[in-house]
Amino acid sequence: MTDISDKVRSQIDDLNTRYIRAIDDDKLEDWPALFAERCLYKITTRENYDRNLPMSLMECTSRGMLNDRVTGYRRINIYEPQRYTHMISGRSITAIDATHYSCRESFMVVRTMINGEMSIFSTGIYHDKIVIGADGAQFEERVVVQESRRVDVLLVIPL
Amino acid sequence: MACLFALMLNETPHIEWPKEGPTRAPYRVMNDPEIYRLEMKRIFRGPTWHYLCLEAEIPEPQDFKTTFIGENPIIVARDADGTIHGMVNRCAHKGALLCIEPCGKKKEFACVYHAWTYNLKGDLTSVAFQRGLGGKGGMPPDFDVKNHGLEKIRVENFCGMIFGTFSDKVEDVETYLGPDQAAHVRRIFNRPVEVLGYYHQGLPNNWKLYMENSRDPYHATILHAFYATFKLNRLSMTGGVSLGKGGWHNLLYSAAERDTQKDNYEGKNLRSVIRDVGLDDSTFLDRMQEFDDGITVAIQSIYPTCNTQQIYNTLAIRQTVPQGVNRAELHWTCFGYKDDDEEVRRMRVMQANLIGPAGYVSMEDGSVGGYVQRGIAGANEDEAAVMEMGGKDIKPSPGVRATETALRGFWQAYRDLMGF
Repeated sequence: MTDISDKVRSQIDDLNTRYIRAIDDDKLEDWPALFAERCLYKITTRENYDRNLPMSLMECTSRGMLNDRVTGYRRINIYEPQRYTHMISGRSITAIDATHYSCRESFMVVRTMINGEMSIFSTGIYHDKIVIGADGAQFEERVVVQESRRVDVLLVIPL
Repeated sequence: MACLFALMLNETPHIEWPKEGPTRAPYRVMNDPEIYRLEMKRIFRGPTWHYLCLEAEIPEPQDFKTTFIGENPIIVARDADGTIHGMVNRCAHKGALLCIEPCGKKKEFACVYHAWTYNLKGDLTSVAFQRGLGGKGGMPPDFDVKNHGLEKIRVENFCGMIFGTFSDKVEDVETYLGPDQAAHVRRIFNRPVEVLGYYHQGLPNNWKLYMENSRDPYHATILHAFYATFKLNRLSMTGGVSLGKGGWHNLLYSAAERDTQKDNYEGKNLRSVIRDVGLDDSTFLDRMQEFDDGITVAIQSIYPTCNTQQIYNTLAIRQTVPQGVNRAELHWTCFGYKDDDEEVRRMRVMQANLIGPAGYVSMEDGSVGGYVQRGIAGANEDEAAVMEMGGKDIKPSPGVRATETALRGFWQAYRDLMGF
């Protein structure tokens, strides 16, 4: 599938840029609007994904649930101050129909703690279903498959 | 006395346990490498049972799963006859890890290093070039494969939970648990289960700090703001603590859906009641009452490192694996029942937003042990944690959850096993 227009490529790229800016700039309130009202945001591990085990680390099936994760992060859960730096690469785009695209890309998240400790917190693959409407691109699905089966300490900020 | 004991055994690090007994735990037991080494011997190779896996994970002949007892790598395998065997995952030749994969199916275990090969019972069946090549070399004539099997461990299947022990003295699992704790395992494993997924969570702390945390109903509604904010679990709810084997094991349970005694928390200025935080979409909290006893949250500790968990309809085993004096890994095995329909399975999966390393409720447990581990660095030898909530004794606490009785039970068992 090579006939993806430059315009579509640029809209998908813009969506991913806004995704990373919302998280890495700690503007998580901007994050839910990147998803359709009915959506799937799920973080799972290679271990569970490859064996078709349904349990995930985080699973939101509506924009409301994404908002709730932002509330958890801002107001409910307890954790040490930390920030992410995302790196993404190797995006493939396949058209599903005139307005829907299936994308995959690799990600790496470096986590930096308030005491200066830095670590490669997560790497893996985003499996996306993106819809392009009048207002640009939105995620209908983003399934985050983390390569490692292990999470260091806790995961409060979405990947 | 402790000093004399140390001289006699020539291995016990000198430790003066505070005179207050099990209401105190010296910080040193959390960061002394010598004590940690002794724990591996006296607790993990001592008269204790260790959760290894679920029977449901190795349902067929030749299925295996790898796990740990303390730091020891362990294989659990079902042989061709269907019998379950446990053995140390360590080749008898050079000590190499024999089985690298976490689970799978194998007819035999062959070491990649020199192809020493073992059957599913752990017996050595062949050694590469045992007779040499062309009549030259090979093992000495007196080398007998019978003397070089894997180190075998006792295993027992209790209600579908497979336990293992290095001890030939410890009583059977059911007696070890005692009637109340055995009854709770039966309650959870009342019918065949199916695994829904795994979590592996790195803990930046000594293994015992998580063992304390999971025995501590006092913290649950204070640290975990999600519970109190949404009135899902408060200390004022009906519930309590039951014990097994004199406090080695315990069950923390609560049995009400919503707290009606609002006054208990509001007005006390506890951070964990945060007003005006509503959920936009609480459908992930949809739940059902699936046990006749009305218990909605039940965390059980089986000494030393196994927890069973029921948080609403999320069911899990948590196994704490020590990885050095100040590191551990928490292995979660989440499950439902084989006869769950799709709706019930989805309910358990969505409720899993509460648990695991990213769980609204559970995530803080991953970090709080690290706060203690870093807090106690550099402490004086005589400094110790204080555990007097709910009294100084070790006894069941029906109706009261603001208690540290289960922690005192843990430390009493620890002292008994360690000789401290």
